Amino acid sequence: GVFTHLERLEAQAHEAGRKQEEKEQQEEKLARLKERVEELRTQRDKLQAKVDLQQKGQTGRKGIIESGTTEPSAGAVLEWKIRRLQGMLQAFYLTGISAKLTKRGVCFSISTAYEGTYLDSYYLDLLIRPEVQIHHHSVPIFIPLEQITKRYLKTDIRRCLSVLSDHLNAYARRKYQADQLQEHFSDQLEGTLQRNSLCNLLVFNYKVPGEGKTFPFNARLIYRDLCCSLPTEAVVSCTEKAPESLQETAAAHSELFRHLALHKAFCSFSRAEERED
Amino acid sequence: MDNTCQVYEDEIQSLEEEIKLLTEQYKDIQQESTFYSEKEILMAIKSFQGEFQGESKGYGSPSDLKAQLESLEADLSFLMKFTGIQFTRHSKKTVERTRNRTVQKHRLSGTCYSLSFQLEFQLLEMQDEEKVSSVITDLCIVMESGEDLNVSEFVSRTEEHGDLLTFFRSLSSYAEWYEHRRRTFLHFK
Repeated sequence: GVFTHLERLEAQAHEAGRKQEEKEQQEEKLARLKERVEELRTQRDKLQAKVDLQQKGQTGRKGIIESGTTEPSAGAVLEWKIRRLQGMLQAFYLTGISAKLTKRGVCFSISTAYEGTYLDSYYLDLLIRPEVQIHHHSVPIFIPLEQITKRYLKTDIRRCLSVLSDHLNAYARRKYQADQLQEHFSDQLEGTLQRNSLCNLLVFNYKVPGEGKTFPFNARLIYRDLCCSLPTEAVVSCTEKAPESLQETAAAHSELFRHLALHKAFCSFSRAEERED
Repeated sequence: MDNTCQVYEDEIQSLEEEIKLLTEQYKDIQQESTFYSEKEILMAIKSFQGEFQGESKGYGSPSDLKAQLESLEADLSFLMKFTGIQFTRHSKKTVERTRNRTVQKHRLSGTCYSLSFQLEFQLLEMQDEEKVSSVITDLCIVMESGEDLNVSEFVSRTEEHGDLLTFFRSLSSYAEWYEHRRRTFLHFK
């Protein structure tokens, strides 16, 4: 009777109190967030005004002077110089060979690229005492590093890096072509391209666009020159008793693959197809 | 109530990103539009050491900055001697900067042994998770060895394909050979 009634009232009061507390916490949180938003908006607007001023005022020798100071601080000047030097080192990276001096020698970085697209880079960390030798490297195992260094490292480091760069770039470009083919022309390939780690042996079945559901051609590309990204041999054959026209096409493709990058060759097939429409 | 919270939180995140981008934009323009001579750099180094130890306006300690500067200069000096490539002028202008994409216009002049070159190109850098990819476009090469047909043919080919790396690798070999030939002829004069 009375007791349960009292319990109920207590529970209700407790609940009301809890709800009130929750409401106050929510309002507090909302107020804090609102304050933060306004803070950030002001900061953003100030920055935007600074940037707009920069873009209008422009190219005074000292740039735009920070308000409140008359001369840039020594720290700012040095940071400027550091950033500038870092920019120059980045330019060396783009040339294909960059380096960093280490306590016991020098660490070279060889970059690879297919035309304008930069691919992986590899490092060669050398010790110079008691004689030039490799400390660490990230050259893949299927690149004949030992052969190259045995021949050139101790007598002509520049030549050594040059030859290594040729091998690495050729490998990176062969790999790039195969990847591009897989990525952009998979509908013309039967399954996946078969390749070895060095990407100097590629085998695949393919068709040209608009030729129905069979893959009449088989291509076998061999790149005997490890410093070259075009095949030395391109055998294209037809998989069945094929009409003469297909045999002729296969011969034409064989010639094409030896002179044009793989993905570009396939691009030309699509263009030819478009022209016929 | 909850919905308003979410709206505020979303705006906070977008504002923070905007601020980050604007700060980087400001730093880019500041960097690219100022120039300090070697004399001013040396003065800054001296005055920096004079200031009392410790942090100075948010930059690293004097000894750290100086060490970093010397290390970078040593690396560059070594590279120029080793590769024969000397950059005499390098300027860049940030043309576009978004969260994971930066486009910069570069102007680069220099010599490779005795051959001089002038380049202009656009460098696009894209951040994809942890990988940064770089692509060169609009490559423009000016070289002075107009007499050698091989050179001008090779220059226009690499220019057409934006093949900056091959340009430098080949320039390096050619310049070395050219230098060797030049010295050999001088020897016989």
